[in-house]
Amino acid sequence: MKRALLSLLLAATAFAQVRNEDIVKGPGADWLTYAGTYSGWRYSPLNQITAANAKNVVPKWVYHVPGARGLRSSPIVYQGVLYITNTNSVYAIDARSGRMVWQYADPRAKEGGVNRGAAIWADKIYFTTSDNYLVALDRFTGSLIFNRKFADVEKGTTSTSAPVIAKGKVIVGSAGGDGGMRGFIMALSADNGDELWKTYTVPAKGEKGSETWGDLIEWGGGAAWLSGTYDAELNTLYWTTGNPWPDYNGSVRQGDNLYTCALLALDLDTGKMKWHFQFTPHDTHDWDAQSWPVLIDTQIMGKPRKVVLHANRNGFFYALDRVTGEFLRATQLIDKLTWAKGIDDKGRPIMLPNSEPTPTGNWVCPSVKGATNWMGQSYNPGTGLLYVLTLEQCGMYFRSSQNPEPMKHFSGGGATEEGGQVVLRALDPKTGKRVWEYPMTGAGRMWTGTVSTAGGVIFSGDDDGHFVALDAKNGKNLWHFNVGEGLTASPVVYSVDGKQYVAIASASAVFSFGLFEPAVPFEPPVIQMKK
Amino acid sequence: MRALALALLAFPLLAQHGRYLSDSNNPAIGDPKAIAAGTKLFMGSCAGCHGPDGGGGARGPNLVRRSLWHPLSDDAIFQVIRKGVPGTDMPPTKLEDDQTWNLVAFIHSLTGPASTNPVPGNAAAGKEVFWGAKAGCANCHSILGKGGSLAPDLSNVGGSRPLAVIRESILEPAKDLSYLGNEAAVVELKNGKTITGVAKNRSNYSLQIVDAKGRLHLLQMAEVKKLTISETTSMPTDFAKRLTRDELRDLLAYLAAQDIRLETAKGSK
Ligand code: HEC
Ligand code: HEC
Repeated sequence: MKRALLSLLLAATAFAQVRNEDIVKGPGADWLTYAGTYSGWRYSPLNQITAANAKNVVPKWVYHVPGARGLRSSPIVYQGVLYITNTNSVYAIDARSGRMVWQYADPRAKEGGVNRGAAIWADKIYFTTSDNYLVALDRFTGSLIFNRKFADVEKGTTSTSAPVIAKGKVIVGSAGGDGGMRGFIMALSADNGDELWKTYTVPAKGEKGSETWGDLIEWGGGAAWLSGTYDAELNTLYWTTGNPWPDYNGSVRQGDNLYTCALLALDLDTGKMKWHFQFTPHDTHDWDAQSWPVLIDTQIMGKPRKVVLHANRNGFFYALDRVTGEFLRATQLIDKLTWAKGIDDKGRPIMLPNSEPTPTGNWVCPSVKGATNWMGQSYNPGTGLLYVLTLEQCGMYFRSSQNPEPMKHFSGGGATEEGGQVVLRALDPKTGKRVWEYPMTGAGRMWTGTVSTAGGVIFSGDDDGHFVALDAKNGKNLWHFNVGEGLTASPVVYSVDGKQYVAIASASAVFSFGLFEPAVPFEPPVIQMKK
Repeated sequence: MRALALALLAFPLLAQHGRYLSDSNNPAIGDPKAIAAGTKLFMGSCAGCHGPDGGGGARGPNLVRRSLWHPLSDDAIFQVIRKGVPGTDMPPTKLEDDQTWNLVAFIHSLTGPASTNPVPGNAAAGKEVFWGAKAGCANCHSILGKGGSLAPDLSNVGGSRPLAVIRESILEPAKDLSYLGNEAAVVELKNGKTITGVAKNRSNYSLQIVDAKGRLHLLQMAEVKKLTISETTSMPTDFAKRLTRDELRDLLAYLAAQDIRLETAKGSK
């Protein structure tokens, strides 16, 4: 038996394994992490599908994810296998045919929130259950390698994000927070799920930063609904944090409420906070910072810089120096923005009156959904533009004077959303200015991420369930396909046998598209059934 | 039931049926005393229709290998016993709550995950049997990342299957009619290569096969010259003879303990 095991092990190591450098390199045939690369670009160098031939894109296969109703998962692809998650489950699908290879489900998991995707490292697939287990599976067979709990749902924490794995550390975070909890980001060992470090997003009583809170600090929120990005050279993780709790009632938590609605720069090895930048101090509109910190190197104000870009729910588009956290610039992301006059040169919003939630309500733009949200953005080095889905929408914000009680789904008030239009915008990171925009028809409900390619094409979703291809240069619509239901996930690009595909999860299924090719009839094999 | 579970692999649209849900925290569940009391009640009032082991009779369905589609949970069983199933032979009862829970505990001991029920035997000795050469289970099966890749992973077998089903899987593996998702297959390719392994899925157009080294091959049927599929299980059918009664009992105790939701420490159990 021992000998059999040994030879198995040898065989496993002789086979290709996903390593740091593969993910750093960025996508090609494979798509190895949520955003394709550590720096959050959602960009593919594949160029078979171009602005000129995108009109010939057709669906190649559809995989209906069992029981799925609102998928938000972004697939990963490795060596011809596409891995997609749903709540407490993972499916491995032949990326060429759409046929399932294996599935893993944990129906006994408590809670049932959305899941945003899987991660891959060496020869294992990782994902988290909604009740905070890190699950590692054999990438070929789906066999369980380990299942480790990293946090208690009893403390208000759930898990939704796709883990990011770097240097053998699986980075996970805490979702929840709109009913009171204490947010954190954690590193777990990719080998066995052991905890390596844990950094809270809200300080403990008495710690630095706790003076920006009142008595409710232990339930302050600051969730990590999304995963973040990573700069391998700086060995730094960039993770955004959620809103403070109670969401709409700020009177019980006077102060800035650090480190909520912020971007944190954490050392990958220790989890130590190198710097933080708070976009919305003392937020009362649920404008958490849950959208992607995109890492690029570019000229800003005449100087070459390592930059982190962030299109925030509060309606502003920020550029920070990602080495120091220095605020560089903020521009307006959306047109309908009523709560702040602008951002001052320290990076703090210049507030306008009558923007706070009140018992009778105040009309504020953007709405509670925010100017943008969790869907993936794409940075295309060819055009030098960042493509961000935005929402022009306003709403009423109410405050409840009820005594806030944690863990009771109580958020200190409420908000409405009225009308609204989704607009895909191309932003120039150098200036922060809009270069073009693509307005959509729809109810202001859909939140499709974008992916862009070296072929000069952007793939995204219209607000009415059409998957679309746009010209990355000017936003011209090149192609559309009606998936017949909502699109609330982000697309990815991969190739098998040198053929380019683009895949996206709709509400209930995964669709994969490619260029039209006539069917090739073939001689069927002899199939023999043997007793 | 197992044939069904395997077929589900290939037809995942049906895979959502939680067939052995245990959703109750009632202390009767898994309590040997309650189960014993429930057994008595069952023999008296229910066995006539459902059979003495819940295996089904002329007037009542099999409660262990269920053919009904809706998931059976502790709370659902409680309600069925209390209210009956109107329009069928399943009568309502007038039992006290705790007696009804004793019955639920007994039915749970037949139908609920093995890990949630008392199981006789020595799990540590069963571990030796599982990983030992005589039974050779680990040549094909894996638990928590160790073992073979030609058969279903058993890391959670105790957390997902009733004891009776696990026992039957070992003693009568050839009872199933369909092995879709686990078919032993030999593929001869047009380029002269041969791959031997387990077909995880196949159609007229593509084939997904895992070989003995645990590697996945994604093939197009256009590349395949000949595909030979075994119509029966590759699992040995002689364990009833090969293993002693004690070995089998201990092996079952070990498998019953394989439950990923009870797992707190890593790796070895
Ligand atoms: C007269 C015959 C009869 C008796 C006595 C009887 N049952 Fe039933 N039982 C049935 C039938 C028939 C059904 C199937 C009902 C249906 O079609 O859904 C059933 C269904 C059930 C089910 C649901 C099975 C499923 O898969 O959904 C449970 C649990 C059950 N019986 C338990 C009991 C218990 C416990 C007793 C004793 C207190 C009992 N039954 C007594 C005939 C009987
Ligand atoms: C030669 C390979 C092989 C060996 C050795 C083997 N099995 Fe299996 N086993 C299989 C396959 C293949 C299946 C899938 C279903 C089928 O074919 O019956 C299976 C199914 C099972 C199942 C049902 C799994 C499920 O998901 O319901 C159990 C339990 C099981 N085996 C236990 C054992 C035990 C215990 C041993 C050792 C005493 C053993 N097997 C030895 C190949 C093997």
